[in-house]
Amino acid sequence: MIDFSAIIWGYIYMVTIGIIAMTIYGMATRPNIVKKLILLSILSDTGNLIAVMLGVHSGVIKPPVFPGISFTNHEEVGSDVLKEFSKSAVDPIPQVLVVTAIVIGLAVLVFLGYVSLLLYQKYGTLDVRLLEKKIKGEAK
Amino acid sequence: MKNKEILLGVLAGLIILALVYLLVSLAIIIVPPQEDNRWLASWFLETTYNSERKELWSASPEVVTSILWDYRGLDTVYETSVFFFAIIGGLMLVRSVKIDPSKLGVRGMSVISKTVTKIVLVSIPVVAVSVALHGHLTPGGGFQGGSIFAVASLLAIVALGVGFLYRRGWSKVRLLGFRTMGLIIISIVIMAVFITGLTIGATGYIMQNQWKPWAPIGYGYLINLGLLGNVLYSGSLIFLNIAEFLAVSAGLSLAFIIMALPREELIKGGDLE
Repeated sequence: MIDFSAIIWGYIYMVTIGIIAMTIYGMATRPNIVKKLILLSILSDTGNLIAVMLGVHSGVIKPPVFPGISFTNHEEVGSDVLKEFSKSAVDPIPQVLVVTAIVIGLAVLVFLGYVSLLLYQKYGTLDVRLLEKKIKGEAK
Repeated sequence: MKNKEILLGVLAGLIILALVYLLVSLAIIIVPPQEDNRWLASWFLETTYNSERKELWSASPEVVTSILWDYRGLDTVYETSVFFFAIIGGLMLVRSVKIDPSKLGVRGMSVISKTVTKIVLVSIPVVAVSVALHGHLTPGGGFQGGSIFAVASLLAIVALGVGFLYRRGWSKVRLLGFRTMGLIIISIVIMAVFITGLTIGATGYIMQNQWKPWAPIGYGYLINLGLLGNVLYSGSLIFLNIAEFLAVSAGLSLAFIIMALPREELIKGGDLE
């Protein structure tokens, strides 16, 4: 009997880790700053994906929100009901970390976007090899 | 050149292999996933909305928002300030930019795109406000709502031109004002319990949401709104979500508007000459 779940999960982890390796390689070798930024955002998204996957457990999974509660419908809930709920809900802690990481990643991306925009306005290129020469004053 | 690239590739592969070995050997990655939640996850899932343990709860069925703004609130406050300073830093780079409305583009795209955008521009902010207001009840929250709202302004910039937003009063000063107003509301909400505690002589903490046995001040979680009856608002969570929504939507919209300015304005604003 082959354990298909292990094969599928192993495949998913291998693909995500392969994407991380490729983005690191690309960031080191691609000369264009915009491509570096795209790869950086793919890298952080893949890291977030791995973090969310760590919170998944086998069986039926539901979001970590207790169902049926609204502004006006809010009965008190005791420990017994919540114990049942916590068996099916996913781990909320990686999701919280991911929300934080997305905000920080967005802030970094906005800032780097401004920097690269101004670099392009001043030097007319985003190729780091050309930029190096232009900043040193060797090429016009 | 070619050898260097191969070396870099091998190096990246080695780093990843070391990382994977660490994660698997420390049992952080388990393939296939474990049967049950980790005990910390179960603790949060069982306590956040547990009316039998009111000394520890945060009165919200949304566990993620509870952890984000209550159990681990200071972290989120610092995260918001990182976001604020990143946008301030970006604006510093174009600090002396003066927006001249006569130079801004108002032509936009074709009539079809403009009409579709005008229809969608009504519905996106509605969804954004709904996501932010329901942050303590359903998935979502202030940051998510603010990001959805920023999509609307980005769409308006692309399809209708920067001038469209600027003519409707979305100036730099006003957006920065909204951004700062959100941050001020956040700081008032997180300090209110502490300062009230100081004035009446009881124990109160920074970022406290519900009352504790040793710190009897708190925001409460139900409010009577007449016809609607008792409405669940989960203490400080709804105020923090609204403030974060203001801050994020105004900040991101401002970042997009400045980025979309014409080239000459940006060069002048960044003192590049």
